[in-house]
Amino acid sequence: MAKQILRIENLRKKYGDTEVLKGVSLTVEEGEVVVIIGPSGTGKSTLLRCINHLTTADSGDIYLENQKIERGKTDLNKVRQQIGMVFQDFNLFNHLTAIQNVSIGLVKVKKMDKKKAMEKAYKELARVGLEDKINHYPAELSGGQKQRVAIARALAMDPKIMLFDEPTSALDPELIGEVLAVMKDLAMAGMTMIVVSHELGFARDAADRIVFLENGVVSEIGTPEKIFYNPEKQRTKEFISKITQLHTSGNNQESAGL
Amino acid sequence: MMEHVNFLISILPELWKGLLVSLELSAGALLLGLIIGLPVSLARTYGKGIIKAIAVAYIELIRGTPMVVQLVIIYFGLPDIGIVLDRIPAAIIALGINSSAYQAEYFRGAILSIDSGQMMAAEAIGMSKRQAVLNIILPQALRLVLPPWSNELVYMIKYTSVAFLIAVPELMARGKMIISWTFKPLEVLFWVGVIYVIVLSLVAKIVDTIEAKISIPGFQMSRESF
Amino acid sequence: MGINEHTWKVISAIPYLLKGVGMTLKITFLALIFGAFFGLLLALARVYGGSISRRFAIVYSRIIRSLPLLVILFMLYYLASEILDLSPFLAVVLALAVHTSAYQSEIFRGSIQSISKGQMEAALALGMSKFQCVLYIILPQALRRALPYWSNEAAIVLKDSALAYVLGIAELMRRGEYVVARSSQSALLTYLIIGIIYFILTSVLTRSLLYAEKKLRIPC
Ligand SMILES: Nc1ncnc2c1ncn2[C@@H]1O[C@H](COP(=O)(O)OP(=O)(O)OP(=O)(O)O)[C@@H](O)[C@H]1O
Ligand SMILES: [Mg+2]
Repeated sequence: MAKQILRIENLRKKYGDTEVLKGVSLTVEEGEVVVIIGPSGTGKSTLLRCINHLTTADSGDIYLENQKIERGKTDLNKVRQQIGMVFQDFNLFNHLTAIQNVSIGLVKVKKMDKKKAMEKAYKELARVGLEDKINHYPAELSGGQKQRVAIARALAMDPKIMLFDEPTSALDPELIGEVLAVMKDLAMAGMTMIVVSHELGFARDAADRIVFLENGVVSEIGTPEKIFYNPEKQRTKEFISKITQLHTSGNNQESAGL
Repeated sequence: MMEHVNFLISILPELWKGLLVSLELSAGALLLGLIIGLPVSLARTYGKGIIKAIAVAYIELIRGTPMVVQLVIIYFGLPDIGIVLDRIPAAIIALGINSSAYQAEYFRGAILSIDSGQMMAAEAIGMSKRQAVLNIILPQALRLVLPPWSNELVYMIKYTSVAFLIAVPELMARGKMIISWTFKPLEVLFWVGVIYVIVLSLVAKIVDTIEAKISIPGFQMSRESF
Repeated sequence: MGINEHTWKVISAIPYLLKGVGMTLKITFLALIFGAFFGLLLALARVYGGSISRRFAIVYSRIIRSLPLLVILFMLYYLASEILDLSPFLAVVLALAVHTSAYQSEIFRGSIQSISKGQMEAALALGMSKFQCVLYIILPQALRRALPYWSNEAAIVLKDSALAYVLGIAELMRRGEYVVARSSQSALLTYLIIGIIYFILTSVLTRSLLYAEKKLRIPC
């Protein structure tokens, strides 16, 4: 059995009176790609943010490589260095160029020598195909390029696992492909990933397992084959077909518009 | 304790008279500032050539010099060329001219923030530029200008205190007068300060209420105009 | 002919007036530096502080912004002469600093709060401490955004420094008063010249800050 990277046990989170996560458990092994799907508002983002403690869960445990993360005891900044996160709206640092965005974590958090950090940042940017944009400011990049810089920024910290929260949903359709391609490469290279995304093509090609999250619980989990073609629950089937429809009708509308 | 209360009671009538003068100065200055400021802002925004240049120069000169200097020019300087003004009119004119430059800029900001489509649409239904400004642009701009304008109101009430420098008997000046009789500077200044804080909070409350009353949905400008 | 004589007197006093510029600039500069320091601390307390420091910052800003500068000036002046042992010069600098710090705290607070929450989260996600986030990510952006408002405030402090003359400090305005007192019929011309000098000073100040703003600008 492969090594466990992340284990989530019975995670619960309430906002006011509404319980968003109602006991979520999930284990992710080294090199595994887990795609999370589910209706809007079911707590997908909340789950990811609880993993690196940007949000504090009310109860439940999270283990990173069998080390329990305990607020107050564990150094959260250390933990976060080991968990890369990519946001829906990029959150690039607006006052820094692409290469500075990638290197700042290395210099300030990892205390790496500035020159070495720049070299590493350059390498990471090259990996996402942006070696010619290193001196551009975020405002001078397209959405797809921004997201690739954000991925490079997270990768530069040499994380044990990468979390993606709908990394392509703020992008124009023609820019989605370049970001998904980078993510696929990453998956092929053996990176452990949790991806919240409704790009079913990506899920089919890259995911080892798909999690269907609904109403704050893991409603169904399984391989892409099982979830797409042979789901246990009617709800899963309905949701998949709804998403497929949305996508195809969206694409049709576009071609009709052209 | 009783001693302090008695002291406050003994100076309150004098301070009250001073406050009334301060408010009178502010009201006069704001009104004068409005009367001068609005046309100047229109001249700067829509005017051409010399008219625009004069408006720009006026605004920049006033905003680039201290209010005290403007005050002494008017009160001590103008008599050199035979124009002698009493203290209160001199103060109102100086404060009013000062305010007019700032008000002009607030109006201009509001006018410029109105979508250019408004002007186009007005001209499209056959209005002249003049009509469009009067009927379409200004009514919107005047609503938008209220928040910065209320800041100006607060500023004015505070700045009327410079009139004390030409011995106008406003709040600050009365405070100084009382100090010279009682030799209790800190206590007197404390109460003067308290009066300013109370009055300005009241004014802010009133302005907020008015703003809420006349607001139109989707038609707000931020109050915190730094 | 008489007018010419008065005019000449005033013109020959210009070098004397200009000597006050140094004092005006010194007061302005010191007040701005102290004011920026306190203002930034207050803004940080307001945005990131605990409930007590936050409340203090709010109340401080509210009260100071409702007090005329002259009231603050005289309070500090009497405090300085009765209790503390401060020179009128320091009283003036402190009064201006206290006054502007309240306005600057609002400027900095606004600009800090205008930086999107995602910036902080992305920095935390990289493993930065909250202090590092503020220092390296939030402030570099917020201070740039604050600069236009800050230079406006700097010009206000420069102009407000003219009030220092009431405490007898020999800055521009005070020297003007001496000149006026020494010769009759010279007030208009003297004060106009003083106005022009102030105008040049504020123009130079705002121009140079505008230049700094352009230099520091980030594409957006
Ligand atoms: N900071 C917050 N305060 C209060 N409620 C919140 C907060 N963050 C999220 N919620 C609520 O928690 C629920 C789950 O939010 P979450 O963002 O995790 O959903 P999601 O599955 O990511 O949805 P989407 O697909 O729209 O991104 C929502 O109902 C949301 O309104
Ligand atoms: Mg989400």
